[in-house]
Amino acid sequence: MSTEVDVDVPMQDAEQSDLDLELELEDELMKPGSSGIADHKSAEPVKLTTTSIGQLDAWIEKLVKCEVLSEDEVARLCKMAVDVLQFEENVQPVNVPVTICGDVHGQFHDLIELFKIGGPCPDTNYLFMGDYVDRGYYSVETVSYLVAMKVRYPSRITILRGNHESRQITQVYGFYDECLRKYGSASVWKMFTDLFDYFPITALVDNQIFCLHGGLSPMIETVDQVRDLNRIQEVPHEGPMCDLLWSDPDDRGGWGISPRGAGFTFGQDISEQFNHTNNLSLIARAHQLVMEGFSWSHQQNVITIFSAPNYCYRCGNQAAIMEVDENHNRQLLQYDPSIRPGEPTVTRKTPDYFL
Amino acid sequence: MANNEENRDIRSRQGINTIIVNSARNMHMKTVNARIPQKSTPQPLSQQQNPQWNNFMVNRGTQNTSTIHQRFKSPLAPRTQSTRHVCNNPNNPPCAHCGTTIIPSPKAFMPLEDNPEIIINNWKISTKKKPILNSVELEDWENNKLKGLALPEMIFGNNAITIQNIEKDWTLQFNTLDALKMVKLEDSGIRVSYSNKWLDAKKNNATKNSNQKSDIDESSLKIVHNYDWTYTTEYKGTIKQNSKDSVEYNFQRDDEVQLPIDKLSRSDKILFFDDMILFEDELADNGISVLNCKIRVMDERLLLLSRFFLRVDDVLIRVIDTRIYVEFDENIIIREFKKYEDQYSSVLSRHRLSHSYDPKAALRDSNWVVANSPLVTRECEILKF
Repeated sequence: MSTEVDVDVPMQDAEQSDLDLELELEDELMKPGSSGIADHKSAEPVKLTTTSIGQLDAWIEKLVKCEVLSEDEVARLCKMAVDVLQFEENVQPVNVPVTICGDVHGQFHDLIELFKIGGPCPDTNYLFMGDYVDRGYYSVETVSYLVAMKVRYPSRITILRGNHESRQITQVYGFYDECLRKYGSASVWKMFTDLFDYFPITALVDNQIFCLHGGLSPMIETVDQVRDLNRIQEVPHEGPMCDLLWSDPDDRGGWGISPRGAGFTFGQDISEQFNHTNNLSLIARAHQLVMEGFSWSHQQNVITIFSAPNYCYRCGNQAAIMEVDENHNRQLLQYDPSIRPGEPTVTRKTPDYFL
Repeated sequence: MANNEENRDIRSRQGINTIIVNSARNMHMKTVNARIPQKSTPQPLSQQQNPQWNNFMVNRGTQNTSTIHQRFKSPLAPRTQSTRHVCNNPNNPPCAHCGTTIIPSPKAFMPLEDNPEIIINNWKISTKKKPILNSVELEDWENNKLKGLALPEMIFGNNAITIQNIEKDWTLQFNTLDALKMVKLEDSGIRVSYSNKWLDAKKNNATKNSNQKSDIDESSLKIVHNYDWTYTTEYKGTIKQNSKDSVEYNFQRDDEVQLPIDKLSRSDKILFFDDMILFEDELADNGISVLNCKIRVMDERLLLLSRFFLRVDDVLIRVIDTRIYVEFDENIIIREFKKYEDQYSSVLSRHRLSHSYDPKAALRDSNWVVANSPLVTRECEILKF
């Protein structure tokens, strides 16, 4: 019988070929540019037409209700976004007044809360320092909304790249999964991860506040050196671009290497030197969870801002954003998770007969 | 409150009778309200002027929240107006606009502190849950309680499960601090998957730049601060015995002892259930390290599972389980300790049967990982009063 023949196939080989297939599949997934959103890039910045404004406004109206765009709409949005983001600089200049925000991580309702606390965009200028996707339940809605706002109001909102805006990380921490669930295929994930390659990696607020997701790199002494990097690529595993998106400030001085065997920490001396060399007053970064939503380090040379309240729906932390006004006065606003009628604020686990 | 009844969602299935109370939400609302400075005058919202804002408001729905919002500030107020005083936290620096000091107000925390307990015979079981440590607590842990350890990202330092025998005044507690005290302050030898590549690149760079001024020299390529960054802990709980006179009760090692799976497999009604994280770290996005504790109490017995789950992506998987079993009437306590470990790739190669659409999903599921990893150690202890 044919079924018996199947059983006779050595398990080892079967598993092996399956694994190979999977690895191939994985390679295919990881291939940048396969979504085609950047196949027909514009050679110069495109002006919004009445039609495209109407289109964007309709999308934004849909997204603000936490409804996802169709796959086709995401494709169109990402194409438009490539033509905006490709012209931004590695160190994107931003003017005051601006409100600086940290990690959002797919917590869409808290993002809407953020716009209520800080004032609606575009009336208020915003600068987001990355990590829009993964972990929260609404990564698709969150990143679609922010990208749509960026295309609609390019000079009012700046969206930097975080270490989670990468193909590798999103496969582990939820965005890939969520795209599969909401669209039934990986194509939306491909489009967004291809788009992430175009996100600027740092911003400079009025030549005074250097904003980025992670922290400093031993290979970067001046802001100008960041301008020389080729940023349009998957976040590399090492090198200055990797450091800018991954490194953390530390109490110990100088450069440190994490005991994990990769990743830098930088001390107060490094921050002070960097700020002095570049005539900066502050480094604003995100990347790390802090209970109060913000945390000063290195004697106010560095601030960490985290804008995902009750992170992962269980940490109970507050979130914060930092307003910088025309006169460079800074004010931190802290806020709690958004409360939605009928929904509990904590995910309670149902009792189960675990063993 | 009058609407208390509405907040109760009574669910009953498979013998489980659980009440889910939304009191955390109500309490949170009150706290948020209390934190808003009374001085600021609410400005009426001119909703017509901003259609987008209207959208936000429509979405919100509840009256409560819109009141909060109106008190917070008007979105259209000019940036310099005094109504912008939203400095509602004592930790904030004085207001940049007028220099007034902010009055300390109650601090909101989420979720609400939970401290339920149940008593059966001589046994008292209680749990405690609070949010992650705040910066003041963190500083204390970092500088005093856990000196030398770079702390994990999320520390639920006030969480605990306590099992107490009232008569013998004997207590077994699972708490975060004691679990973290068992994390070794030495190099674990484990490195993230791309560590060699990363370090080599730095070394090459350092050699290349050796003639020029460079921030990284050879010495800075060594790891300066060694601790077990995977936060592996073989924590089996903390025993506390208060009675002055009495006998000391100790567990007796007996690996022959088995947990009575048959009794635990019965769907006896669960009277008390809790599930909590003691600490968690995302290993800078290289996987996960998490210590989770859960307990279910039935009429005649209880089971507690403390599970340490470690996944270093593309490197290894490790699970350390401690189970506590108590038979109330016989005053018997069994403590079983199990350790599982395997290479990441070996575990991944076994995934196919269960989670085929997303290969990584299986590796996020600690139950699946345990079922598909080799048992490295098993120890069992028993104590009878």
